[in-house]
Amino acid sequence: MPEEKQAVTRRNFGKTLTGAGAVAAVAGPVAAQIASPGPGQFGPVVVGNYAMVDQLVFGGIGIRGRGMSDLRMLLGESRVRFVGIADVRESARETVKSTVDGYYKNNDCKMYRDPAEILARPDIDALLIATSDRWHGPMAMWAAQSGKDMYIEKPGAMSINESYAMADNVRRYGVVYQSGAQRRNQFAFEFAVGLARSGKLGRLLAVHADTAIGLGTVDAGGHGWWPAETPEPDPLVLNWDKWLGTCLWRPWNTAYPDRGRGEFWDFHAGLLEWASHTVAVAQWAADMEHTQPVEYEPEGGIFRGDGLISRYTINCRYANGVKLVLRNHSWGGLGSCSNRFEGTEGWVETGDSGRIEVSPNLKSLVPTKQGTRYDPTAAHIKEFIDCIRSRTPPRANAEVTAATHVTSHAAWICAQLNRKLTWDPAKRMFLNDEEANRMRGRAYREPWRMEALATSM
Amino acid sequence: MVKDPNSTEFQKAIACKKLAFVGGKEVVPTMAALLNHPHLACYARFALEPNPDPSVDDALRAALPKLKGLRQIGVITTIGVRKDAKALDALAKLIDDSDAEVAGAASASVGMIGGLQASRTLQAALGRTKPPVFPVVARATLICAEGLMASNRPRALELYAQLSATTMPGPVRQAAIRVLNAAGPAPAGAKPYPPPTGEAAEKDQSGFLGRGR
Repeated sequence: MPEEKQAVTRRNFGKTLTGAGAVAAVAGPVAAQIASPGPGQFGPVVVGNYAMVDQLVFGGIGIRGRGMSDLRMLLGESRVRFVGIADVRESARETVKSTVDGYYKNNDCKMYRDPAEILARPDIDALLIATSDRWHGPMAMWAAQSGKDMYIEKPGAMSINESYAMADNVRRYGVVYQSGAQRRNQFAFEFAVGLARSGKLGRLLAVHADTAIGLGTVDAGGHGWWPAETPEPDPLVLNWDKWLGTCLWRPWNTAYPDRGRGEFWDFHAGLLEWASHTVAVAQWAADMEHTQPVEYEPEGGIFRGDGLISRYTINCRYANGVKLVLRNHSWGGLGSCSNRFEGTEGWVETGDSGRIEVSPNLKSLVPTKQGTRYDPTAAHIKEFIDCIRSRTPPRANAEVTAATHVTSHAAWICAQLNRKLTWDPAKRMFLNDEEANRMRGRAYREPWRMEALATSM
Repeated sequence: MVKDPNSTEFQKAIACKKLAFVGGKEVVPTMAALLNHPHLACYARFALEPNPDPSVDDALRAALPKLKGLRQIGVITTIGVRKDAKALDALAKLIDDSDAEVAGAASASVGMIGGLQASRTLQAALGRTKPPVFPVVARATLICAEGLMASNRPRALELYAQLSATTMPGPVRQAAIRVLNAAGPAPAGAKPYPPPTGEAAEKDQSGFLGRGR
């Protein structure tokens, strides 16, 4: 669709209407404020915009890299019709349109610079959201407030408070949320979790999660790198203010969009690059999907303070005594995103290689299917679409995602402070550690805001 | 460092980030002085928002009428996150601000602060605001109702009933209906959707549809 050359400022982000289909009035900085002021011609939109129709209508927000992989699998679903893309980056918009139109052999995919426009489309049932990390939480909340179901890439939130706020909104508005933690639908992980949950390992003692990322690398820029300001790009090509989003202001530099996802504290969700997968699987195995460990203690490694950590193990303990061990160094050589579960009667370990290793006494249980490395995203997306139809929560739903994220953020705070912390899952706070409690949230840059009870102190 | 005129903007920003985790009452005036800074206002709020000292709330309330536009919106939002009930009167007035973004931010913060006074403020606003502020008021009322469920269930259900009206934004209405369905049976006297008539009714050999359940 043609784009008008017009100034896009921070304050009109969320209300720049360029398409004939974008008819809703827009309230302001929070894109979800475009929610319809009342029922339309055919009555109110039901929860999740759900309708028993042959195809679910999808839109996308912020799709590049990993999101393109998701998109291709989504397009392969016969129950899906993908109709539009919103992105602050022109090249990304055009790449998605080209891909979608090429698949459908037409010119129908609409492009938007502003997510509010796609959220305002009443014909869209669900969204594929694959922005950079800092936008996942806000986008999820806006999608929920707009009544849209969502498949959203991980990590799901940048802080403990944002994790709870995201889950609050998804629950409140009754939409279907599937995090891009696709290993929840990967056979090797399912099998390992099954052994733990079925009691085949005896009394469960410890679950291990490879969080992989060396925080030394993550924080190479840390708080302490602020490049020289250079002229901002044309907002129609890349809207810097919107790219920056809720993060604290900083001057424009090309280094940010090129490297910004992982290398700066403001833009990074701590351990959650891999913990989104491995802690989710570990908590699933331990039947702790709706809570968090109560203790966190750093061990060994190199802790330099201020978030600068190059090697670590973080030992955590759930209230029932089961340990959760997080480390950024692998142990069994079974591939990335490894998990290991240990009980009194055996152990199991797996990873992205698809291979499954178990204690000798359990070898007869390991099926011949093991040993295959494959991407389970198609199955993960299929489960999401099934759940849109059934209005039931998928495996990586918002509640378990929030619990995973709170665990991982709490562990990261423990690592940054380099001291033992005690967490109260019911009160959602650390005990006797004010500094740690202050690190639960990150204030949004104006004019952005959350709308959730959980953000309140 | 923040007060040092020789400090760079970057140095001040980093100092604010550190003060978010360790700053006490002594840093509040310095942070408050930055609330109208075009670049550092967000850093000042980053430092103030988690600071538990009550003087933070006093400083934010004092700053509220002195700010405009984005900076005022930022302070409104932080007041909401901190649940400062003393700010409710000032926020209530801002719901009618000519700047729709200010009005929306004020509505959202009133909802997050919650309680009876907030519920009355929002209920009144539901009756007089128009899009684009109205949907924000509706969502804020939803949050306010949710917050009241534990302390004042009848009042919360009253709000949910109002939010279930056909005039409400679709997602808000559906959310309210879900809560009402879970809360108990429909009110006495509630009438079912009319049964089918004509040919469809004739197909119903049991007569069940026409019995006026």
